[in-house]
Amino acid sequence: MITECTSIKEFAQGGQKKVFLAEHPKFGKVVIKKGLIKSFTSLERIKREVKLLDELDSEYYPKQYHFNIDFKTNEFEIVEEYIEGSTLRDNLHIFYNNPSEIFSLLDLLIDGLSLIWDKNVVHRDLKPENIILRPNMKPCIIDLGIARFLDLESLTKTISPVGPCTPIYASSEQLTNNKNSIDLRTDFFALVVIALELYLGQHPFNESGSKYSIMENILRNNYIVENENVNQNKQMSELALKVLHTQPYMRFRNYSLFKEFLKTYL
Amino acid sequence: MKIYHQTGFRYNWNIESFEKGVGDGLIFSPINIDSDKLISFKEKMKQVSFLDPQLYLLNEAKGSLDTYPYFPGNLKPDFSTPDLDNSQDELAKLCVDYQIENDFEYLVIPTRYHADNPTNYFLDSTDFFVDPFCEYLKEIKNSKKVLLSAIIKTVMLTDDEKKNEVLNWITGHQNIDGVYIIFENNFTSKQIKDFDYLLNVLRFIKILKMNQLEVHIGYCNTEALLYSIAMPDSVTIGSYENLRSFGIKRFQDLENAPMRGPNARLYSSFLLQWVDYVYIQAMEKLITNYEDFFDDSEFKPLMFKPDFKWHFAKAEPYKHYFFVFDKQIKQLPELQSDRIFYVKQTIKEALNLFKIIENNVLLDNDSDGSHLSTWFNVINAFEKEI
Ligand SMILES: Nc1ncnc2c1ncn2[C@@H]1O[C@H](COP(=O)(O)OP(=O)(O)O)[C@@H](O)[C@H]1O
Ligand SMILES: [Mg+2]
Repeated sequence: MITECTSIKEFAQGGQKKVFLAEHPKFGKVVIKKGLIKSFTSLERIKREVKLLDELDSEYYPKQYHFNIDFKTNEFEIVEEYIEGSTLRDNLHIFYNNPSEIFSLLDLLIDGLSLIWDKNVVHRDLKPENIILRPNMKPCIIDLGIARFLDLESLTKTISPVGPCTPIYASSEQLTNNKNSIDLRTDFFALVVIALELYLGQHPFNESGSKYSIMENILRNNYIVENENVNQNKQMSELALKVLHTQPYMRFRNYSLFKEFLKTYL
Repeated sequence: MKIYHQTGFRYNWNIESFEKGVGDGLIFSPINIDSDKLISFKEKMKQVSFLDPQLYLLNEAKGSLDTYPYFPGNLKPDFSTPDLDNSQDELAKLCVDYQIENDFEYLVIPTRYHADNPTNYFLDSTDFFVDPFCEYLKEIKNSKKVLLSAIIKTVMLTDDEKKNEVLNWITGHQNIDGVYIIFENNFTSKQIKDFDYLLNVLRFIKILKMNQLEVHIGYCNTEALLYSIAMPDSVTIGSYENLRSFGIKRFQDLENAPMRGPNARLYSSFLLQWVDYVYIQAMEKLITNYEDFFDDSEFKPLMFKPDFKWHFAKAEPYKHYFFVFDKQIKQLPELQSDRIFYVKQTIKEALNLFKIIENNVLLDNDSDGSHLSTWFNVINAFEKEI
């Protein structure tokens, strides 16, 4: 599969893997991802989730053409559909100080994520870099299927490769490696951090002048809902109040309740 | 708020009361009711009731538990070490099928009991009970509401880490509609008088309700009234004390141990207490109109006849309690703030009545109002947090 592709360029390299844009004779533009799995939970689980990804046939995810793990070297390789558009990180301005756009985006993201949540899979690494906005503004969720194969040590490395100011979207149960408490409510937390960052143009757990790092602020549940440039907004604050809690049981229990809440403002 | 009969040894008392309109339904007890017998019960009664599967000790065949098709010992001889073969799927299927055959109001997912929960208790419970049940329910496209049973130990109320763990576990299941929750009761007094414990129970219920789960509380005594202010969906009435306070003893096969019966008691909705009959006899001598401290019911005339022989195993005081407590629960206001006010008022009035009684008749602290001041304070503390 990979040998049939001609490489075009390498994307900015993250902590865990290499990402290339390439051309495949049959599928056209594809993205190739390669990397090393340092340690993973269970083979059964990986197999199950890879199968799920193969079966996912939705606009919300790139199609997966190929997934392989070489168990001698623990290297994985993925070939997936290339998604036109640009990441949410590059489109922050569209959502800045714009609650109704943000709520519509959340609504779409939840529809997309519900496909994996229904199968008991959690994304675990939602962030603006992992959401691509297509030219028609529909979001596409990428980078699924890696984070959950990693143990916490490698995950924290992905989360904070550089230092205190790198944005973190992980909930406290991820940061404290409370594995049993990780479920779709972990993704809810990340979604609302993203939402507030879009609204404020600033990471909500990164208050300027705070003596704590983002990670510490998340663990202390210390966040902002307004800053010098953007005033507090009722629906954004309420969203934060419903979801930004250290304990998952304080957040929405399921995505229907989350969607119901969004609907009251849409 | 509904009120279910927590059934046990004398389940016919509950059924007789229910047939006279007392209580909204029953929670059936396999150790006391033969499987076939339960199947033959009236549909109308079962459709408003549910089953407690009672797999607390998994393979301990107390009473008639082993007449149930899902009883683990009937699946394979040694079920003590549930290795992850297919037996849990088989168990789930049989247990669900049995409940569906009876057309109960809810389907209940069982839970296990340990004196000290092992570290993997919740993960194991998910693997062993919750997931197999939910998968089978999905497979058969079940449309009945599903309750997860959970025993809440005192440490799960007092220790933050344990509390968070159990709450995250309960609320983490997407395919349940509610919980059948049992607060383990290790208190030595007849009424619960522990401020922190009671406040934490209220908080616990509140969080489950915030998560939009139905909350059905089993094994309630009079404190059901106090719990009502956290707005659960149902509480229970039960006859003997072991149905009004959960202890695992009820499910252990200690059959031949001689049971020393407790003194007979009578519940008063005015006093919010069960009063030992020896004090009722003293009241008769020392307080005019002493009968007014107790509620009217069809059983009252009989019980207050001079020749009534008080005995804890007699039906009348319990049937009286079912009737009176059911009525008392039904009188609670719907709105939480009104309900809180109402319960506080009732407590104050009860305290006043106790003052009058104790001018002439001194009561011990299992018959007096010594639990009521704690209850009052708990309500005040809870009210502040709403
Ligand atoms: N299927 C895809 N289509 C278009 N761009 C992609 C695709 N997958 C990844 N990218 C780009 O590559 C970047 C890194 O890919 P990602 O899978 O998120 O790896 P990392 O683990 O380094 O975050 C993304 O932020 C995005 O810009
Ligand atoms: Mg990424």
